[in-house]
Amino acid sequence: MRKLWSTLNLPSKISVLWVLLVFFFVVTGNFLPLLDPTEYDPDASGVGLFSPGHFLGTDINGYDLLSNVINGARISILIALVSVGIGGLIGSAIGIGSAYVRGKVDLVVNLFFNILLSIPNLVLGLALVAILATSVDPSIPIDPNRRVFIIIFSLTVVIIPILGRIARGATLSWVNREFIVAARSMGMKDRHIIFKHIVPNVLPAIYAVIFLAIGVVIVAEGALSLLGVGIIDGVSWGAMIGRVAGDFTYAPQSMYVPVIVLALTVIAFNQIGDHLRSQLDSREGKI
Amino acid sequence: MSSILKLENLKVRFATHRGQLEAVRGVDLEVEAGTSIGIVGESGSGKTVMSRAAMGLLTGSNVTREGRITFDGKVLSDMSRDEVRNEFGTGMAMIFQDPMTALNPVRRIGSQLQESLRVRLGMSRKEAKARSIELLTLVRIPEPARMLRKFPSQLSGGMRQRIMIAIAISCNPKLLFADEPTTALDVTVQAQILELLTDLRQELNMTMVLVTHDLGVVAGNTDYVAVMYAGEIVEQAPTTELFANMKMPYTEALFKSIPNINMKAGSRLPVIEGRLPDPTDRPPGCGFAPRCNYAQDKCFTDHPELEVAKDGHLYRCWFPLGDSIQRKVS
Repeated sequence: MRKLWSTLNLPSKISVLWVLLVFFFVVTGNFLPLLDPTEYDPDASGVGLFSPGHFLGTDINGYDLLSNVINGARISILIALVSVGIGGLIGSAIGIGSAYVRGKVDLVVNLFFNILLSIPNLVLGLALVAILATSVDPSIPIDPNRRVFIIIFSLTVVIIPILGRIARGATLSWVNREFIVAARSMGMKDRHIIFKHIVPNVLPAIYAVIFLAIGVVIVAEGALSLLGVGIIDGVSWGAMIGRVAGDFTYAPQSMYVPVIVLALTVIAFNQIGDHLRSQLDSREGKI
Repeated sequence: MSSILKLENLKVRFATHRGQLEAVRGVDLEVEAGTSIGIVGESGSGKTVMSRAAMGLLTGSNVTREGRITFDGKVLSDMSRDEVRNEFGTGMAMIFQDPMTALNPVRRIGSQLQESLRVRLGMSRKEAKARSIELLTLVRIPEPARMLRKFPSQLSGGMRQRIMIAIAISCNPKLLFADEPTTALDVTVQAQILELLTDLRQELNMTMVLVTHDLGVVAGNTDYVAVMYAGEIVEQAPTTELFANMKMPYTEALFKSIPNINMKAGSRLPVIEGRLPDPTDRPPGCGFAPRCNYAQDKCFTDHPELEVAKDGHLYRCWFPLGDSIQRKVS
């Protein structure tokens, strides 16, 4: 562990610390002695940074920004992890499988990935949310839990081709190696070859991209909120942005606090992903 | 003696965007159990493709294989993929050309060595470990127990090739294909690996097909030699007979291009001028004719068939060496 730490450069170290801090809040956010993120303070609406009782100030309605930002990490990170996790699993399985069997299956899968990738992430997510998250009666707002579920689902669909294509590409570069033929020449079955020989080689490439994908999803969640189709009622970074999206001139901190936290988190994940990728490149060279 | 491997009219074609590429054009070969046969030819002559096709390792959708392959009394060419897989490892195994790429870079030597023992022979973890140490001792690797923990990148080429050999012989195959096992290694290691293979073959009573481009490698290590050119066997004979009595100008040219200690310093090594014929567009006559010093008009128009000489010597040439026929030397 110590050895691993010493291989990191300064930005990567800061990124790792930041991500750890965010995860700490994800886990403990509920139990920290903070104000209730859903209770507003009518005596202090729109107060600035470092106000007494409200360290990061409040938004125009008097919601405490510090407690919202800390508690909001939970939903935002949860959405990112779940959609990248599921999307990554499905995407990798499809990518590795299709690259292994080749032929027509691979052609169709590749076409499917390319079509999905040609649609900008946000447009695809927006379209899916818009289609799925509509209630039959417009006067009854859709259940917030269902909305979270739909956002996770939509972002999963966004992630599948991103990781799928990486997995496919990596698999293609390994599947014709001599050691795969060697394993076959010893009578190993396809399933054994995929899990024991291809997956361990493809995984590092996937790890690196997973961090980048988490960044993409966090941004997408925020952007969907800004457009008014994200999480509006719950506590998340996207929700904080969404609530004040209409007007933040009176209390600008209500916009830039969640945006800065979100941006720092995305930058940290990207930095870690980039670091992993550069490590991967040099390792490839050493083999 | 019974034959362990029999190829009858084996043809391998690849569909490429330039058309059908016929890499192996009707090879007939019989390998007797307990012997060792060398397949010799230059790069692109089809020797690697032939050995892989014989084992059934060419599975791409652009590959077509024709002909009958009989292994150990079973007709491989009629068997399903699953049935053929059952012969791999235990029936026949292969050593690959480049030990740098034939081992999985991210898995330890031990797990790669024990893989076939556990999957194919159903050994327990403990048995497999004991057996793998035994195998590493057999291929003369010092400190075998420590070796199991290492990754391929920590080993030299010679060591990796020993590991490859250990993997190949792990399930006691009857037939071992060695596809240019020494090409990627330096000369001193080459000799060690060849000696190891010859010893193992006798110890374990294996039949060996040694594929190489080096007639020198074949000389001391095989009982028979088949020379391949442009996807065909052009000459085949017991090793001693072949070296004593070459019939085919191509074999002679190969033989002459082996560096010799008696050569004058600074003299040029004789090479075979020209290239192999385009495999998508084979000429009608003998494939070697354009490069042959003895080629006559007939060689360019008529394709020679395999002729039988005495002592099991086969050759494919209209004007074989050592015949009294007058030929103009071009």
